[in-house]
Amino acid sequence: MGSGYALLAIGFTLIFGVLRRLNLSYGPSIMVGVFFGTFLFLQFQAGWYAVLLATVLGAVIAGAYVERMCFWAIKKGAAVASMVSSFAVWMQLEEAVTIAFPDRTYEFPALGDFELIELGDLSVRQEHLIMLGIAALLVFLLHLLLFRTRFGLAVRAVSEDPDAALFMGVNTGRTIFLAFILASAIGGIAGYFIMATEEVITPKFGLQATFKGLIAMMLGGMGSVPGAIAGGLLLGVVEKQAEWYAGAVWRDIAAFLLLFVFLIFRPGGLLAQGTAARELAALRRV
Amino acid sequence: MDDHVITVLNNIGGFSFIALSAYLLLLSGEISFGQQAFYGIGAYASGMMTAMFGLSFWLALPLAMIVSGLAAAAVGGLTLRLRGLYFAIATLAFAETVRLILVATTWQVEVDGEPVGPNGSEGLGNIRWGFDNEYEPVDFLWMIYGTLGIVLLLFFLMERSRLGSIIRTIGADRLLAETQGIAVTRYKILVAGLAGALAAIGGAFYAHIQTTVYPENFDVMLGVHSLAYGLIGGLGTAVGPILGVLLDVGFLEAVEWIQGYRMIVFGGLVAVLLIFMPRGILDERRIHRLRTALRGRRQARTHGAAGA
Repeated sequence: MGSGYALLAIGFTLIFGVLRRLNLSYGPSIMVGVFFGTFLFLQFQAGWYAVLLATVLGAVIAGAYVERMCFWAIKKGAAVASMVSSFAVWMQLEEAVTIAFPDRTYEFPALGDFELIELGDLSVRQEHLIMLGIAALLVFLLHLLLFRTRFGLAVRAVSEDPDAALFMGVNTGRTIFLAFILASAIGGIAGYFIMATEEVITPKFGLQATFKGLIAMMLGGMGSVPGAIAGGLLLGVVEKQAEWYAGAVWRDIAAFLLLFVFLIFRPGGLLAQGTAARELAALRRV
Repeated sequence: MDDHVITVLNNIGGFSFIALSAYLLLLSGEISFGQQAFYGIGAYASGMMTAMFGLSFWLALPLAMIVSGLAAAAVGGLTLRLRGLYFAIATLAFAETVRLILVATTWQVEVDGEPVGPNGSEGLGNIRWGFDNEYEPVDFLWMIYGTLGIVLLLFFLMERSRLGSIIRTIGADRLLAETQGIAVTRYKILVAGLAGALAAIGGAFYAHIQTTVYPENFDVMLGVHSLAYGLIGGLGTAVGPILGVLLDVGFLEAVEWIQGYRMIVFGGLVAVLLIFMPRGILDERRIHRLRTALRGRRQARTHGAAGA
């Protein structure tokens, strides 16, 4: 589960990194993608690759809509307006999906029939191992993209200082848009694998994805990709422990309590050494 | 007035309190996603006091405000270091923790042979104070708008007072406020506490009109709505958030054909509005212009009188 959270958090952190603004509609746009996927599956019995593709595509389209509506259109410096606006679009997306899919709960195609792997006392679901592998692969590819390509350089430049990047000839508007698309695609992949393990979807998934991704990102430290991974894994472990010892309600209580405590005592997140100063500078811009 | 109109008006009044609560924090420069927690605490605290322990609503209301205000001040104190988005997320985390703890809590006492008290996700029912004392929805209407009138009056007085300008200064530039010798920390906690108490009023009325409240009534949707009301209506005056509530609950509720698409319309409205007016319809500049226009006319009149 933790690797799914980590992927969600990476998408979040990418958007926050380049924009210094929070996209609350991130989860709902993934939810739109997931419903695209399930529609293809229910109507045409599409195979897993088609469903995955549709999920990513749906998430990207919804993400592009969110970017144009809430971030591109709203002037620099109005970060709060962007956040509230992204929430407004979230409500739109959720209701649109509820109207298009009135039964609310739908089946999502499983990855396949896998048996549990026994490792001594532990039993592990193969789906979770696959998810972990995919997450690791994606992180590796993302690392290459961010640190070995011109586009990655542009993304890092914009996240460091958008004005300076603009003076250096970076097309900031396009870079932000593309980073948004990239984040949505990663979110779509995360959404697909999370859903393929859970096998049931509801429009509430948007809310969960936003919350889990957000918590994982903040635990790790905003705008940091390694932090997002660490935060996602930590969140996964803590949730499972709380669920095991105290029951399902306490799983979510533990997640939010953890976030609250972290924000009070270590607002920079897990990987905050030395970045504190930069975070503060970023906050002043916000 | 028929019952439906009264219900809508009661809703507008009730939401106005939490919208004003979020607005007060916005003035001091903080975005809270968590005011629904204090609305919920107000609802639960007042409901428990009247239903479980037989207190009068008029006693339970101020007590609930105190409980909620203290909780809010405590949260405000804990989150002092955080700014901007961090503060918003911290308040959201707090509010969700409160809501989920309400889901996990059951505490019931016997009243007239029936178990009464918070019962997990079943909520807190049997808040019969209004029913027992033969209060009709119309009576609640007067109570709500009477209280709202007092609150608005206090807001206008505050905006003209030293406290008002201190809060706006902190909101505009915390560093500047500090160099002016303002004890920012103390005022931040004060504002957080006041906002919490304000939200509790709305919650208390809500609980006693509905007679049953559920933890899910106080989810993040309510919190972000209350924040959005201020941002739509405008941050220039306390009338702004109420205008926001009117637009959402009043206008969209009243127009029949929107019903099925209410969130789509409201969401689009908010998004488009924020593009053109990032500080809402009645923002500071428009309020200032309105005020000078009014003053100008008044001055012209007195000058004219003097000339004659």
